[in-house]
Amino acid sequence: MSANRTDCQGFHRRDVLTIGSAGVLGLSLPAILASEAKAKAKNVADKGKAKSVILLWLAGGPATIDMWDNKPEAPEGIRGEFKSIDTNVKGIQVAETFPKFAQVMDKATIVRSLYHTIPSHGPASVFMTTGNKPTAALQYPALGSVASKLLKTEVGVPPYVTFGELRNGLAGQAGYLGTGYNPFIIEGSAPQRGEGRAATGGFSVRGLTLKGTFTLEELEKRDTLLRKFDTGFAGLDKSNDLVDGLDTFHQQALEILKSDKTRKALDLTQEKKETRDLYGATPFGQGALAARRLVEAGVRFATVSFGGWDTHSQTFNAHKTRLAPTTDQVLAALIRDLDERGLLDSTVVMCAGEFGRTPKVNKNSGRDHWARSMACVLAGGGIKRGYAHGTTDASGMAPATEPVTPDDVSSTIFRSLGIDPHTELQTPTGRPVQIFREGRVIEKVLA
Amino acid sequence: MLSCRYVYALAACALFNGVSRADVDLPTGGKVKKVDFERHIMGLVSKVGCNAGSCHGSFQGKNGFRLSLFGYEPSIDYANLTRDNLGRRVNTLKPDESLLLLKGTGQTYHDGGMRFGKDGWVYNTFREWIKGGAVWDRGSGDIKSLDVNPPDFALLANAKDKQIVVTATFMDGTKEDITPFCDFKITDDAIALVSPTGLLTPRQPGDAGLTVLYRGSVKAIRVLVPTPAKPGAYPAVPEVNYIDKEVFAKLKMMNVVPSALSDDAMFLRRLYIDALAQLPPPDVIRAFLADNDPKKREKAIDKVLADPLHAAVWATKLSDITGNNTQALEQPALLQFKRSQMWHDWLRKRVSENVPYDQIVKDILTATSADGQKPEEWLAFVNKIDEQAGKGLTTDYPTKKTLDLFWRRQQQVPVEQWGEKVAAAFLGVRLECAQCHKHPTDRWTQDEYWAFANVFGQITFQQNQFSSADMKKAADAENAARREKAPKANNNNNILLVREMFVGAQLRARPNPATNKTPLPKTLGGDVIAVKAGEDARVKLAEWLTAADNPFFAKSFVNRAWAHYFGVGLVNPVDDFSLANPPTNSRLLDALAADFVKSGYDIRKLERTILLSRTYQLSYVPNDTNKFDKNNYSHSYVRALMAEQVVDVLNSALGVEERFTGQEAAPEGTKMVELGSSRLNGSVAYALRIFGRPPRTTACDCERASEPALPQTLFRMTDAAVLAKFTDANGRTSKLAKSKLTNDELVEEAFLSTLSRLPTAKEKADGLDHLKSAKTRAEGVTDLLWALVNTREFILNH
Repeated sequence: MSANRTDCQGFHRRDVLTIGSAGVLGLSLPAILASEAKAKAKNVADKGKAKSVILLWLAGGPATIDMWDNKPEAPEGIRGEFKSIDTNVKGIQVAETFPKFAQVMDKATIVRSLYHTIPSHGPASVFMTTGNKPTAALQYPALGSVASKLLKTEVGVPPYVTFGELRNGLAGQAGYLGTGYNPFIIEGSAPQRGEGRAATGGFSVRGLTLKGTFTLEELEKRDTLLRKFDTGFAGLDKSNDLVDGLDTFHQQALEILKSDKTRKALDLTQEKKETRDLYGATPFGQGALAARRLVEAGVRFATVSFGGWDTHSQTFNAHKTRLAPTTDQVLAALIRDLDERGLLDSTVVMCAGEFGRTPKVNKNSGRDHWARSMACVLAGGGIKRGYAHGTTDASGMAPATEPVTPDDVSSTIFRSLGIDPHTELQTPTGRPVQIFREGRVIEKVLA
Repeated sequence: MLSCRYVYALAACALFNGVSRADVDLPTGGKVKKVDFERHIMGLVSKVGCNAGSCHGSFQGKNGFRLSLFGYEPSIDYANLTRDNLGRRVNTLKPDESLLLLKGTGQTYHDGGMRFGKDGWVYNTFREWIKGGAVWDRGSGDIKSLDVNPPDFALLANAKDKQIVVTATFMDGTKEDITPFCDFKITDDAIALVSPTGLLTPRQPGDAGLTVLYRGSVKAIRVLVPTPAKPGAYPAVPEVNYIDKEVFAKLKMMNVVPSALSDDAMFLRRLYIDALAQLPPPDVIRAFLADNDPKKREKAIDKVLADPLHAAVWATKLSDITGNNTQALEQPALLQFKRSQMWHDWLRKRVSENVPYDQIVKDILTATSADGQKPEEWLAFVNKIDEQAGKGLTTDYPTKKTLDLFWRRQQQVPVEQWGEKVAAAFLGVRLECAQCHKHPTDRWTQDEYWAFANVFGQITFQQNQFSSADMKKAADAENAARREKAPKANNNNNILLVREMFVGAQLRARPNPATNKTPLPKTLGGDVIAVKAGEDARVKLAEWLTAADNPFFAKSFVNRAWAHYFGVGLVNPVDDFSLANPPTNSRLLDALAADFVKSGYDIRKLERTILLSRTYQLSYVPNDTNKFDKNNYSHSYVRALMAEQVVDVLNSALGVEERFTGQEAAPEGTKMVELGSSRLNGSVAYALRIFGRPPRTTACDCERASEPALPQTLFRMTDAAVLAKFTDANGRTSKLAKSKLTNDELVEEAFLSTLSRLPTAKEKADGLDHLKSAKTRAEGVTDLLWALVNTREFILNH
């Protein structure tokens, strides 16, 4: 019976808060939190297929007109250099530079009618990675920060990691959610194995991986001493949230440091050589492989970036020699690998950059910033398999059918994570804000 | 058709015969004789949440039903309730079949769930109104005044409940107890609960704010739950100045006894962190502890207030408040960092010279690039600054009369953002809600918002625009020369061109979107600022703002200073002066503000008064009566450090200097609080980010995070940048390891340099044991210092 329905836009934190503590329900703060947790758990159990997200970020703005929405029929000066090839899904073609992806098309969705209106790297990156149009009034949290706030997190692993920082730390941060939801930064590079030599290098998480002589035994020895000294506030624990909170974080920090989950996940030498080769020996490929291992270990959101897409000149050359081969290999490998392990249904893969590039080729054989049409690839976690959503007009200037915006894509991903995209969060000033202010779920993209 | 006529006939009948009316019994005991649309129905529509922003109050409505947000437009609401949707929402013939009642009670599916129960008093009120013909007596609910009883504060003594009574006096002179039609919100429900009908139930000793909302009118009182009285007399507590008098008076009312005076070491550490963002060096602590001068605390206070780093702490705080956002400053990018530094140094010079606060604010608010100089003079100054900035960190910018950087942003700033920034920075008032609708919990209307925004319509800062033909001529010549000199094929953004911020003749005024009329510039909620040609509206604004009788200006600043030294503002958050957020101790806030005005806005004197008070110097160790106190200052509050304090305090403990290199190169020995940029790239960037240095993008103090987070703990434990400080050849660890100190002395030195106190006997024994068991002396010292900087006592001010 409908009166029992408590989710949809009905029973949420906002109702409780709107009524205030004087509300008809008369809930106290702990009760609000408890009911919120319950609503959340129910949400996840009922709707969410996905548990994690891997974002393959093509920094600089990929010319998706030469990738996922190739236009070989368009006039000279627009169509570019690449022919289209068939994929393993009837009726869907991609540029010839993506042969490996063409063979996993049956597991993915291409969103061809994506667009927005911000042709500037910084704010466009923020729009794409937060699902909210940037404003001066409020710093929106990155998708990964929202995921780490709203999803149940795994003990001993960080909820949100990024390989390198997005736009030098300008995007990908927690915004109004506060520093506690910033990503953990993965440093270093994949281990290199020479012939007959031990592996060198390796990934580590900043602040989370012990290095050099600072071993776990060393940490435990020091911590024993620390505990003897950390008695100054002993009497305050019960009455002071800050003192108590720091104690909790100390326990959590030890748990994470002692847990080998993250360390093992980052140890790519535990992968078979074939698997590593499948992803390729590039930082992007090895990062994606590490992201898959992290997701297996319980990480909720991992971002792996691949830069160099800002091709104002020589777009086609850059695609041929550098950008397309790597992206093709990594994206196809990740989708295939996840699927073979049975993880694709619980992991959303999103491959996108901040905007597309001008359909019109400029005098330097390049393409400039173009946000009014762009495409992205989604796969897994309840996203349709073998589907192309929407179309652009004949010259790829703008969506022709089913136009969707970055916040729609974000909303769709969060729906597949079991989170209502209209869920309200609170800013530090107590203002309720929907996680995606204007996004709508693209129902057709969901299986 | 027949049925339709029949309905009309019946309705007419009903009207002529007069409707049989039943009184509605209210849960607070009274009765409503005649349900009135404005007085009762509008109150309930808000109270049960129908017109909230996420429900039918949304500008798009919800499911085809729209109400005005928070109920400010009765005409819209009346029309939509009674006429829209073919009038099915209210059915005057069969009131129980009105959609309003069916949906509100969840009898018919309602996305918003059940809002009230069938046949309860809310239901009956709606029902009686509908039954009575759903009429609207225009203006019946216009409020003359709203009175809350008890006024000011409700003292919940002896664990007894207390009923709040809200009386409205309407314009026609009638008074009515409208308590159940109000919405009640309490800031801390650990202290007391409030029922939907205004019954307060105490839970735990303490002090919380109670807000009463009735159809757009806001009142707030404080709810005090005293500590159960102890047998015996309340002890006599010495008072140093008026601060203590007001703080202790309130504590006494609540049966709360303040903590003891802090000991010398605790006092000194707190003072150094608060005033200098540094730790006291071990030798300073030893000397202070050994000093027998009864005035030694006063002397220490005067010493730190005169320290150059003290002004740097304020420059950092004022940089936050005024929005010194490096990224928003003009290109070229390489100079943005320098410009932020100029901004910081301009503020620092003024605090250091103790320039009166009203003067500082006037020189920010009325700033221009040229400061009235002739073109040649101005260009000569600009050239000098640009040259200095090209070479190093120090420039003569601080000698400039006004802070034009405040207004110089790469992107043109819309007038409303200036309005919001100025209100938040200098008045402690948050206006942003009123951009789109009347502020729900404060007095500000949309018209007042836009009238205030329009004060800033003259601000001009555009490429190639100058204040006069002469200025343009001179600047154009200079810019042509600069372009000539620049390497060819250089990106235009990288050529440093002369730009001028000035007050233009043209008014870029914006209309109020609700009325589409453009309000004339006005002071906030005040009078029109008439501007003649060539006049700067900001000059009159600054006069109004800094006037002694401005209701916010002095209070806002003393509150910020107070919050800096206590961790919690008298009004908290500090930039949220509003009707719904009364101060915890208004007598104290008034006294501080009056003293500040009387002193001629003397910041140093204000700080001195605060620091000398016994209240500031209380111990953080609570007693049985004050352990739950969070906002009445009965003990020193344990509080998180600002990100800059973390960096500097960690460095002072470990005896190292931060190295600022590359783009943000600064001389060796520069402290974090001395740097102005909101965006650093070097190794310190990570620490600043996780400890929450604000990007200064929004007009809100809330940007500075003060909540602890896991990465902060991990940072101190394992981050490579921190571990490197232990192995630094010139750092404290190496020096102590190489020193000739005995183990006893080593442990003492380690405690003094981190926790700024001597170890207890037990701590000393534990430290000695550890040193003995360590493989090497260096390892032992490292362990000792590592353990100490990872304690909570180290990373929290207290």
